[in-house]
Amino acid sequence: MKQIDKKVADAYFRERVRLIVIFFIIWFIVSFGVVMFAESFKNMTFNGFPFHYFMGAQGAVVTFIVLLFINAKVSDNIDKKYGISEEKNEQLSAGKALDH
Amino acid sequence: MDTQFLVSLSIIIASFALYIGIAIYNKAKETSDFYVAGRGISPFSNGMAIAADWMSAASFIGMAGTIMLLGYDGLAYIMGWTGGYLLLTFLLAPQLRKYGRYTVPEFIGDRYESHTARMIAALCTIIISFVYSIGQLSGSGVVIGRLLEVDAKVGTMIGVVLIAFYAAFGGMKGITWTQVAQYIILIIAYLIPVVFMSLQLTGNPIPWLSYGKIVGQFQELDQQLGISQYTDPFLKGSKWQFLALMFTLMAGTAGLPHVIVRFYTVSTMKAARWSGAWALLFIGLLYLSAPAYAAFSRFILIKNVVGQKITELPAWTEKWINTGKLQIADANGDGILQWQEMVISNDIVVMATPEIANLGMFVIGLVAAGAMAAALSTAGGLMIAISSSFAHDIYYRILRPNASEQNRLLVARISIVAATVLAGLVALNPPGVITQIVAWAFAIAASTFFPALVLGVWWKRSNAAGAIAGMLVGLVVSLGYILAAKYGGFSVAGIVDTGAGIFGAIAAIAANVVVSLMTKEPSQSVQEEVYDLRYPEQMTYKDGQVWMR
Repeated sequence: MKQIDKKVADAYFRERVRLIVIFFIIWFIVSFGVVMFAESFKNMTFNGFPFHYFMGAQGAVVTFIVLLFINAKVSDNIDKKYGISEEKNEQLSAGKALDH
Repeated sequence: MDTQFLVSLSIIIASFALYIGIAIYNKAKETSDFYVAGRGISPFSNGMAIAADWMSAASFIGMAGTIMLLGYDGLAYIMGWTGGYLLLTFLLAPQLRKYGRYTVPEFIGDRYESHTARMIAALCTIIISFVYSIGQLSGSGVVIGRLLEVDAKVGTMIGVVLIAFYAAFGGMKGITWTQVAQYIILIIAYLIPVVFMSLQLTGNPIPWLSYGKIVGQFQELDQQLGISQYTDPFLKGSKWQFLALMFTLMAGTAGLPHVIVRFYTVSTMKAARWSGAWALLFIGLLYLSAPAYAAFSRFILIKNVVGQKITELPAWTEKWINTGKLQIADANGDGILQWQEMVISNDIVVMATPEIANLGMFVIGLVAAGAMAAALSTAGGLMIAISSSFAHDIYYRILRPNASEQNRLLVARISIVAATVLAGLVALNPPGVITQIVAWAFAIAASTFFPALVLGVWWKRSNAAGAIAGMLVGLVVSLGYILAAKYGGFSVAGIVDTGAGIFGAIAAIAANVVVSLMTKEPSQSVQEEVYDLRYPEQMTYKDGQVWMR
């Protein structure tokens, strides 16, 4: 076990948190944001739908799915950047819940 | 006994044989397997299992009908039940995985170092899962009732026997692989009718692209019929109700014990993130199709059923009238069925649509099998959550710490049977339609677990007194609001019973924060453990320093 600089560890955490904050802002806009102004989108159409309806039925859901995959991928890259190995993680977490 | 009955029944029996076969093959031997399937299931398979666990009778049977009847306002369910996965995957799942406990009450008990908190969490798990399972049983009642052409109540009783037997039989291990199979069956069963209807009505087999055209036509059709516009927002409830409901469903998703426990079956934090992504993709397939289902059914009803002579209605109407879920009355005595003269329950739309659209016996049977898979897979997960809360968190961790494994397994099985029978009794007279009952479970989860888990993971200062106060306040506020809104006509800004989670969650967070700050901070070791959750497994936080292993 070797000690790592607190600054490096903090940087790791900050990068993850920044990512999550950005995702939550997008999440909020496509769902709550569009609903709040639904009336003003009524006359815009998209693929036959009124725009507010499209966002509720398809746009928001697709955005959520895409965000989750981006998160998984980008987080993997962050882990790699900080030298985290998944094999080591697996080894460390194996059986963890069983030892109480 | 007609051919349709035989076809539906054989498809259901064949799919059941498959699930039970898988369950027997993996029959749980040790308790660790019984609860969390011995870890190490790939994110892709785990995503499917989460999706099956998640997509309940409410999603499969109730949602399209709810959207058909509510129009735009029903989309709160679509966004709410998918958007919650972001809260879950970003804020909770990986961290809870790193913390590594068997159940949600166990996390809360250990994180907050309190048996009282553990006990309250176990009770909340039981309450949430119980309310949720009422919706599932009531859903299986609709399916079985239609199949046997009997009242939905009789169907519910048959469902109780099936689910109790099924859940007590296998453990989670059986259930993980069973659920992968259930997901595959239910998604096929859901997509086939939508694809066929899309072809019939628009000539395009891809419903997600084609139903916009149908939705566009409603404007004119609704005007002709003199009914409210399908896509106009906030006709059935206020804007605040829409937002509150959406929040309730999202936060509730992130606090549902039987879904969170699924993330304990993955190997690492990274696997938890991927499982969340796969799960939402698999769930999204159904959720993107539900509004299409709703639009197509509504279009066919307007075109082919409304405006017909009451004496010449298609044969399927009679069978659904027998279940008590469809009512037709010629109010103005002109012998013609008007839209307003038909009372169609949300819960039968998906089940009845293949008959309405004349899709043939095989599809009708397949949809029945898919609906049973949805009700059963979720009920299975819920029953495991109830039994692990009781047998593990209350019985083993609090009442009898020296109970043998065999003894605990027996207690787990007994609690499954007892919970199913009790939920079934309530479901005989369901207090609402399926989506509504399920939304109450989410309101309670959003008000109790969501605040306790998020603060537990992200705020190390949160302590036992705060968590206990938060969960109790959340429980009282959400249950109180549901009852006051449902039976007392009480509402704030037009928010009804299903949106209760917003008040519960805010009250619980406030109570947790205020009480935590007023009382002693948690022990040093707990604070370090919470700090440790910021990092992947390989990094640990100890004595104010971060170490790489």
